[in-house]
Amino acid sequence: MDFKTDAFMYLLGSAVAAFCIVQSFFFLVKAWRQGKKLGLSSRTMKNTAVSAALFTVAPAIAVLATVITLAGALGIVLPWIRLTVIGNISYEVTAVQSALEGFGVKSGLAVAIADREIFTAAAWVMTVGSVFPLVLLPLLLKRIQKKIGKVTGRDTKWADLMSAAAFIGLIAAFIARALAGAGDKNIAGDGAGVMSVLTLFAAVGFMLPLQKICDKYSIKWLEPFAMPASMILAMVVALLAAQLLPANFVVLEWRG
Amino acid sequence: MQRDYFDRVHFWGRISSVTALAVMLGIPLSISLHFGIWPQAAGVLNGLLKIIPMFWSIAVIEVLTYAPLLGAGGTYLSFVTGNISNLKLPCAINAMQNAKVSPSSEEGEVISTIAVASSSITTTLIIAVGVLAFSPLLPVITAEDSAIAPAFKQVVPALFGALGAGYFSKHFKISLVPIAAGVLILLVFPALPVGTLIPVTVIISLLGAHLSYKHTQKKEKKRQNQA
Repeated sequence: MDFKTDAFMYLLGSAVAAFCIVQSFFFLVKAWRQGKKLGLSSRTMKNTAVSAALFTVAPAIAVLATVITLAGALGIVLPWIRLTVIGNISYEVTAVQSALEGFGVKSGLAVAIADREIFTAAAWVMTVGSVFPLVLLPLLLKRIQKKIGKVTGRDTKWADLMSAAAFIGLIAAFIARALAGAGDKNIAGDGAGVMSVLTLFAAVGFMLPLQKICDKYSIKWLEPFAMPASMILAMVVALLAAQLLPANFVVLEWRG
Repeated sequence: MQRDYFDRVHFWGRISSVTALAVMLGIPLSISLHFGIWPQAAGVLNGLLKIIPMFWSIAVIEVLTYAPLLGAGGTYLSFVTGNISNLKLPCAINAMQNAKVSPSSEEGEVISTIAVASSSITTTLIIAVGVLAFSPLLPVITAEDSAIAPAFKQVVPALFGALGAGYFSKHFKISLVPIAAGVLILLVFPALPVGTLIPVTVIISLLGAHLSYKHTQKKEKKRQNQA
């Protein structure tokens, strides 16, 4: 059996996944109880949880796909573990490449790692490289929240606008990337081009009328599903476009 | 915010962060113990030196940028399970928007935590089930030539298009500047990673909103004086 996917590795992966679920469940219960104290209805909180879960399905499958891309070199278990805790594909790929270079391996992720020492080193580099937020949060988060509390306590109107502006700034970065960002040269469809713009506008095109219908006819139950539905429908548009439009047109990326 | 809940979230958040740190460091430690192999320190350090300056600086920026948006509970959880900008944050934003609560409110803190926790559980389960049950099939589904691969490549534009539509329709005036700024920056630096672009567009958006707010306030004062 491949040492990268032996029973011990699967046991380790299962333990990490269990830890994440238990921790999330703990915070979920605490927040739910506090929500009840604050007078939030069970329906609102239930809708939040269901909508969040639905919303997560497609991106989570995309994360799963990135696990597979790393599996060729590292086996399936280590990428699973790394993308379950803190992980992010761009960090992990960079960390593994850096670890391999640290041991003089030039082939990168193209070839399966057969040396246990290099595999273990990759695990150390990937982990130590990404743990810093967990050191920062216990030291900084309470202070950051206090500072925010002081600003928002003074002027609630500005506080609301400030939060909206911060969200918009974040969303703007991703929209700008879909319109004008260069992608990974080795991945077709990663850069700004026909597909990214088509999908972006399709998502907007589905979301706006759905939102209008919810507001106009006060359809409360539809509100939490408008966003995940728009996202999935936009992905279906991407799928259909890839099948139906001329191949040369679909792969067009103006930013490479 | 009820002081006791806020303090409790930080208390449990600190414990969970330290526990998560121990669990994380336990992963390579367990692998080393299991294989009985301790890689050469020089090789590991060599690898780490290339990534730590970038990764750790980004960590500082991410903590400062995302914490005000996610609330305390959401932040502690998100930084353990990762995939923040592409998953946890949009999820929390969407949830607060649906529940019509502000992130700076007590209700926003609760809704954000519920959304992030549900999202984390779902992601963990999907990845675990996918790896354990479907590992033989996954390479076929996610292969470059698979029929559904084009859809998964566009998950980010789909996600942020849907999320953006909701926000931009409500705050159209303050949305144009950060998008235009982002596009302009990418026209000059096309390969700029989105993680680096986010703090820039967030700052530009905050400045634009502040100017717009001051301008509206001035107008209102003028109107009140005239009345």
